[in-house]
Amino acid sequence: MITVEHLSHHFVMGKKGEKTKLPVLHDLSFSVNKGEIVSIIGRSGSGKSTLLNLISGFIHPTSGEITINGTDVTRFSETEFADFRLNQIGFIFQNFQLIPSMTAYQNIELPLILKGVTENERKKITEQTLERVGLSHYPNHYPGELSGGQQQRVSIARALVLNPPIILADEPTGSLDSETEASLLEFIQQLNQDLNITFLIITHDQEVARIGSRTLEIQDGHLIKGGNSR
Amino acid sequence: MNFKDKWRFVQQNLKKNRVRIFMTVLATAMGTTFLIVLASVGFGLHDTLLKDIMEQDNLNEISIYGYENDKGEYQYITNQHIEHFESLNNVKTVRRMNYLGQAPNYHVDNFEVTAETQSVYFPAEQQAGMTLTEGNFPTQANQVVVGYHFTEGLIPQDMDYDDLYTDDEVRKEETLFSENIIGKTLTFDIEKFDENDDVETTTFEVEVVGIVEEPVQRGWDDSNVYINDMLLNEISAFTETHAGNRYPDDDIEGTPTEKSYDNVYLHTHTLEQVQDLTTQLTDEGYYTYSVATEMKQLNMLFTIAKAGLIFIGTIAILIASIGIYNTMTMAVTERAPDIGIMKAIGANPRTIKQIFLLESSYIGLLGALIGTAVAYLISFAVNLGLPLILEAVFEDQLPEGFQFSSIPLRLLFIAVAICLIVTIISGSRPAKKATQIDVLQAMKREI
Repeated sequence: MITVEHLSHHFVMGKKGEKTKLPVLHDLSFSVNKGEIVSIIGRSGSGKSTLLNLISGFIHPTSGEITINGTDVTRFSETEFADFRLNQIGFIFQNFQLIPSMTAYQNIELPLILKGVTENERKKITEQTLERVGLSHYPNHYPGELSGGQQQRVSIARALVLNPPIILADEPTGSLDSETEASLLEFIQQLNQDLNITFLIITHDQEVARIGSRTLEIQDGHLIKGGNSR
Repeated sequence: MNFKDKWRFVQQNLKKNRVRIFMTVLATAMGTTFLIVLASVGFGLHDTLLKDIMEQDNLNEISIYGYENDKGEYQYITNQHIEHFESLNNVKTVRRMNYLGQAPNYHVDNFEVTAETQSVYFPAEQQAGMTLTEGNFPTQANQVVVGYHFTEGLIPQDMDYDDLYTDDEVRKEETLFSENIIGKTLTFDIEKFDENDDVETTTFEVEVVGIVEEPVQRGWDDSNVYINDMLLNEISAFTETHAGNRYPDDDIEGTPTEKSYDNVYLHTHTLEQVQDLTTQLTDEGYYTYSVATEMKQLNMLFTIAKAGLIFIGTIAILIASIGIYNTMTMAVTERAPDIGIMKAIGANPRTIKQIFLLESSYIGLLGALIGTAVAYLISFAVNLGLPLILEAVFEDQLPEGFQFSSIPLRLLFIAVAICLIVTIISGSRPAKKATQIDVLQAMKREI
């Protein structure tokens, strides 16, 4: 499903003429199979979020290959990656990343609009998805009017609405209390079982990492546990 | 993403900053109004002048007022030239005329008037469109037709000018010639001076057989007497001069030595033939003038003037476009997090660009439409108010039908098109900037 081979990345820092390279990831290789929940764990600054950003196509790797469903995504242009993300990847962010001027319904509907789904079809799918995440009573609430757990459910609904085979989650419980966190993790496991969605979860929390069928550990940009599992 | 959904995004965005959008639309509207009103003056004056020219009944006419021979010498138009003109393609008829060398005093019953007398070729005049309100065209030497206003000029003989009018400067009823002039006999004296300045006079009698139709042009009086060539020849035979001059031809510089015409007019079948024929005759050495040629020059002049006014007006829209650029740049900056989220979940950069371009186009279009409506109001007010102001301040009146400002449909299209193009261009850079927003920066994510 997702194959990462010899992935390295460094950031270029400093002013022109005084630029220095800051290595972040060193020769990472691993793979994630379809239907798996894989947790990537590591301390703050270990490079786990950079890894997720590279897989998402938000940044381009310095070297190495990332293959998703047999396609080398590192060769994609920005437009190609945008289309790929829309159709293949759902995102759950730590701070939800909902558009504050849009209602819960509109936030969930957004990927469907971007894909060009008809209005009637959109209405049906959005309402079903709201139902699935247990927010059918809050369609017209703006993010500011919802609790953290509810906002994250809206975020999950938005990630789910186009039925992507992969969901990338970056610290999905980072802004939630422990009770809501437990409920959300249970919900992710449920989705994984019901829809066979592959989850790649970035976290620093061992509790969260436990829901994964496998855990990869990154330390100082090196994959110290769970690499080359093919 | 279809247009309707993009439009929904634009509407949501517009609602966020109503005051800023309103001010930007206002600036665009003011620019458009300025452009249209400014250019409308050029269009208005052009229309007025064209209307004035088009009201003339001589649009198909080419005036020929001389000929330059191979030696570069000026020559009068003679019968030989007339024959040449009549042989040319597209020539409907050739009018030719001579002015009688003296303005005789015409007498009818107890009334008199001094009138210009023209010798014309009536068949050609008829073909060119001369019509009579009453009577027939002359067939004999002693028959004439008179101009529409000829009888208005007739006054009782030996009456002082001051006695003709009432205190209100209206002609007294009893001083008007109230009978039908048709069938009446006009008498007039022709004078002939010899070398010693001794005068000899003879009286001619002619019968009025027709009255010419009123001139089409506003304010033109036709008090002439139209005679035929036979009568002119009789008068010339008496005076022994060209066209019945009082004094011997030797005393008048430039008098033609053979039968020639003071004015010659060629009439074509259509307006389009005028230009070609004028060019041909000019190439042959004739001095020509035609309203069609004048119209062409006038159109050229006004086209340049209108283009200049539109250009100046465009500067106002360009200034307004700075506001649009500013508004759109601020919109992109403010919405950067939203754009980042949209890009993260898979929005195509092209779609984001189109949404912002649609927004700037909407501002431009709304400004153009409001500006157009205001321009129409101003144009209407100017056309209504200017004559009143001129009358009040300068005690002067504009000619009837004068239009200071005119907004034809094409000016509307030009203004809206300029406004749209300028606003799209000014919105394109912010729109491009929106597509270049870094997803991670916009979402303020940790790296």
